[in-house]
Amino acid sequence: MTGMDKKNIHFVANGDPVSALVGPEWTLLRALRDGVGLTGTKEGCGAGECGACTVLVDGTAVNSCLFPALEAEGRSVTTVEGLTQADGTLHPLQRAFIDYGAVQCGFCTPGALMSSKALLDQNPDPNAHQIKVALAGNLCRCTGYTQIVEAVQAAAAEMSGTATAAAGNGSGAAATGAATGTAGATTGAPTSGTSLAGVTGAVDQPGHGATGAGTHASLSGEVTA
Amino acid sequence: MAGFEYVRPTTLEGAVAELSMRGDTAVAVAGATDLWVNIRSGKMKPEAVVSLRGIAGLGALTPEREDGGGLTIGAMTPHGKVEDSAWTAAHFPALQQGCAGLGSRQVRNVGTVGGNICNAAPCADSATALMLFDATLVIQGPGGLRELPLGEFFVGPGMTRLLKGELLKEIRVPDPGRNTFSRYIKHTRRRGVELAMMSVGVRVTLEDDMRTVKTARISLGVCAPTPTCATRAEDTLVGRPLTREAVEAAALVAAEDSKVRDSWRGRAWYRREMIRVLVPRAVEQSGAFAAAGIAPTMGGSGAPGGAVSRGAGAPGGATAGGGSPDDAGAFGGATAGGGSGGVAEGDA
Repeated sequence: MTGMDKKNIHFVANGDPVSALVGPEWTLLRALRDGVGLTGTKEGCGAGECGACTVLVDGTAVNSCLFPALEAEGRSVTTVEGLTQADGTLHPLQRAFIDYGAVQCGFCTPGALMSSKALLDQNPDPNAHQIKVALAGNLCRCTGYTQIVEAVQAAAAEMSGTATAAAGNGSGAAATGAATGTAGATTGAPTSGTSLAGVTGAVDQPGHGATGAGTHASLSGEVTA
Repeated sequence: MAGFEYVRPTTLEGAVAELSMRGDTAVAVAGATDLWVNIRSGKMKPEAVVSLRGIAGLGALTPEREDGGGLTIGAMTPHGKVEDSAWTAAHFPALQQGCAGLGSRQVRNVGTVGGNICNAAPCADSATALMLFDATLVIQGPGGLRELPLGEFFVGPGMTRLLKGELLKEIRVPDPGRNTFSRYIKHTRRRGVELAMMSVGVRVTLEDDMRTVKTARISLGVCAPTPTCATRAEDTLVGRPLTREAVEAAALVAAEDSKVRDSWRGRAWYRREMIRVLVPRAVEQSGAFAAAGIAPTMGGSGAPGGAVSRGAGAPGGATAGGGSPDDAGAFGGATAGGGSGGVAEGDA
């Protein structure tokens, strides 16, 4: 029964060739976390409902908890760690999630970011309805979603160079400045502990980031728990 | 989760051979959005998983012509590909709507139309939509290919006429002809990531007088142990002028003939009532009434009372009324079992 033995798979994770020794029952999620050490991707429900484990496989958003690890062979996988540049510069989506308060406990954030990334890659200027459809499979129990939709819209505007005073409500005041690349964009706002940990995938338990565990070390996506 | 062998054939014939050889101990897996949930939870304990992902050429959407005609859907085509297909939205709107309303984008990106059909859930969105178009299944078995009308494929929840070792290769959808209008309405408690409480599809093809019904189909999800067509109701429409009254009468027949039941997702009486409500609404939203010169009802066609659910989102389909797109808040609430097309033992 050689098929039950573990097998070495080779794939590209965030641009780097990687390999992992996986069993037939392993999911891509487990291969990323336990095999490659990329722990930014979270397991929420483990049943394809919550989207916390969302990663991109060849550019499309998938639930990595339901993606057989053996099917990752030869594919290109992008995780939340792949959003941040090597020098620690956050992706516009990560920045906007912080600025718009789209991160609270942070556990769903890596998945929400990856669904947002897949959306903007396909549709650089989505309307609110299209954002909701694209992120319907990313459950968030904290934010109420409004901030997430606003953050994606702001990031889309920034990335397409059409950033304007987008945010309509009070909480968007600081974020408006951030969306245009000025105030607050580099220092990271009062919630930066949670938010930075959230957008870089460094939260490993819901609410964990709120203890302030998120530091600049978390920019690299290192696990904090 | 117990260990199992992971087999990854690269040809359809090879997969059929693996499945034939292993019998009941093996399970074929396409997108894995349903089966992997059952395997991970231990509900299914196969000795071998035969992955169909390594088989090339089964994931294409092949229109007959650029400007219409029939459609061939490879069994491994993910729902998202149908959702994104402008051609499908233009020529088979109900099919595009059915695929777009299933699961989440993540699930639709990997969950396949063939998997949704073979999983045989009573709520299978793509299957219920495909019933409208008299689709034929092309099945590969150890002895070669055979064809079976989709309407004859389902036996019960999770049960089909697939024989041991057989695999679905493709779905052939014939040209429905000109003057065809279709709409699929998935009725759900929330508007995203939800199994259908029940669903209604309609397809009306008019004669060139744009008045007389040439052919009609009414398909129902979760109104019987399998996706079904309300054939007696369809027959009342054919050969007669399309009128609002005729459609309402047909809807009543469809409701009476349905085999709805109580389940935790909805009560039988409510499902029956919603057949009566949604059949006319679907015809309205298909554009058939407008094409036949029938004026919309007062207050818009979409919402004659009752909870409106536009589960399909309908980015490309002909819609009329039914709330603004922004209203169709897609975000989910509490989760419901079954990652995508749904689990078979749920509703029937």
